[in-house]
Amino acid sequence: MADLNAHAGERQNRAAAMRLNLFAYALVIPVTLLIIGLVGYPFFFAIWVSFTDQVIGNVGKFIGFTNFAYLAGTSTFWAAIQNTVVIVVVTDILKLGIGLGLALLVHQHFPARGIFRSILLLPWAMPAFVAFLTWRVMYQPIGGRINLILTQTGLYPHVVDWLGQRHTAMGSVIVASVWRGFPFWFIPILVQLYSVPEEFYDAARADGANPWQRFRGVTLPGIKQVIIVPTLLSSIWTANAFEHVWLLTQGGPSDATMVFPVLAYFGMQTQRIGEAAAVSVYMLPALGILVIFATALMMRDDEQ
Amino acid sequence: MSTQALGTVEEQDRRSQALARRKLIIGRVLTYATLTVAVLLVAFPIYWMIITSLKLPREIYRVPSLWPKVFTLDNYEKLLADGGFLLALRNSFIVATVVTIVSVVISSFAAYSMVRFRYRFRGFIGRIILFAYLTPASLLFIPISIVMAQLRLGNSLVGLILVYLTFSLPLSTWLLQGYFRGIPRELEEQGLIDGHSRLGALVRIVLPLSAPGLAAVAIFTFTGAWNELLFALVLITSESQRTAPLALNYLITSDVLPWGPLMAGAVISSVPLMILYFIAQRFMVAGMTAGSVKG
Repeated sequence: MADLNAHAGERQNRAAAMRLNLFAYALVIPVTLLIIGLVGYPFFFAIWVSFTDQVIGNVGKFIGFTNFAYLAGTSTFWAAIQNTVVIVVVTDILKLGIGLGLALLVHQHFPARGIFRSILLLPWAMPAFVAFLTWRVMYQPIGGRINLILTQTGLYPHVVDWLGQRHTAMGSVIVASVWRGFPFWFIPILVQLYSVPEEFYDAARADGANPWQRFRGVTLPGIKQVIIVPTLLSSIWTANAFEHVWLLTQGGPSDATMVFPVLAYFGMQTQRIGEAAAVSVYMLPALGILVIFATALMMRDDEQ
Repeated sequence: MSTQALGTVEEQDRRSQALARRKLIIGRVLTYATLTVAVLLVAFPIYWMIITSLKLPREIYRVPSLWPKVFTLDNYEKLLADGGFLLALRNSFIVATVVTIVSVVISSFAAYSMVRFRYRFRGFIGRIILFAYLTPASLLFIPISIVMAQLRLGNSLVGLILVYLTFSLPLSTWLLQGYFRGIPRELEEQGLIDGHSRLGALVRIVLPLSAPGLAAVAIFTFTGAWNELLFALVLITSESQRTAPLALNYLITSDVLPWGPLMAGAVISSVPLMILYFIAQRFMVAGMTAGSVKG
């Protein structure tokens, strides 16, 4: 009798566990299906398309590496590689450096620092397309504000077509991107700085550490976690950013600011889809390494 | 002798105090000076956007002054006159709101499931979500536009909403997992004893306690959808389906750059986000720190 009861109880337990399991799956399934359908499937589809001669209205057939070979023979493609690397490296170093520097300054105790913090967050609160449209207007050769400041203050007497010249276009794109993007670093670093205990600094000071040693020994370890993973993420996103170049220069003049995403978009516009997809797929190896690193680190941080 | 020594110590003390004081003052001055320059550089483009939108054309194109002689709403009238931009704003609003609601609801379910339960494929699903979060739009826009065309959702807001879920779902799920983990299991178990179902416990106990996280996620999702340009550019072909960034994009691809109306549009598009930002700066700051948010 008791045996039977235990049996029934076990069965009940198993049924309950099963229900719970079903419930858990039911909750996670909508997101999983949508992600598989909207990210997973297109991801592999893109790779397949890059090996075909697909154009709009025609599915195309497998043509091996033809698209890749063709791209590698164009100067625009090489310009895109070079520019993408330059933008990622320079922009991210500047954003991190400025964000870190300003966070260290605002972290000090002084009146009105809340106001400084709020204003310094503003570029991030603005839509990116608004930021870049505004910079586009400011860069204009005639009536643009930047030229006016330079000529009025006598810093540089000539009118410069910032976005229209090969040697100034890239710098101009980078300045605008840094302006919009540094709060991505500034805010998390600032928040993290508050979590470093004051006593650590006192102890370091008692040991006779100079400011640089205090920064290396106390500050950096304290904020490391908001630097390493975000650096990887930021590189991935900067390499794939479209708006800054599109709204400022559209990749011009003569490819001086051409980057991968814009090149892929142009390919799409000319309706040669296979080629356009090959442009994106070319980015995969470099991107893949960054993504795998970032995923590993994020999973590890997450488990802690 | 001893008094003399004492005097030197005192003097030294005073001198080192004065030195420390001077160092502090110099430090302060340098801090304020640097920050003031930074704030000016940050604020100027925003100021310029607003002021340009309020100027007459002759004040914009010739020698633009820092302060307009005449303030005018002409640019706003010009921008809004044919109703196209208003329609675009409405479209942006619909898309961003729907994406936000759908995304917050279903990703909080998924995040809860992954934090609370142990089951097969849990780790795998977690990995897929993270990969999806890191897979950039520039890789996906080509195949997605083909898929959307096949589904006959190409030139529609519904299609745009579906596509924006590709970046909002992974981000929201990832962020919410972090928030849910911080909620003690005991509170939930108490709820179960009090007669709530599992779903009830999620809705009545876990979600209210994660309100700041939900707010951060909602803000990021809304902002992301409101700002998106690339997919809109690829998917939307008819004027009636344009979103705000798209409408402004087509203003500059015409031959003449209409600065006044362009900046008026920039100001109007910023307003909803600025309002969000002022209401919820605190949540935004917390969320940025938690998740390294895409922008």
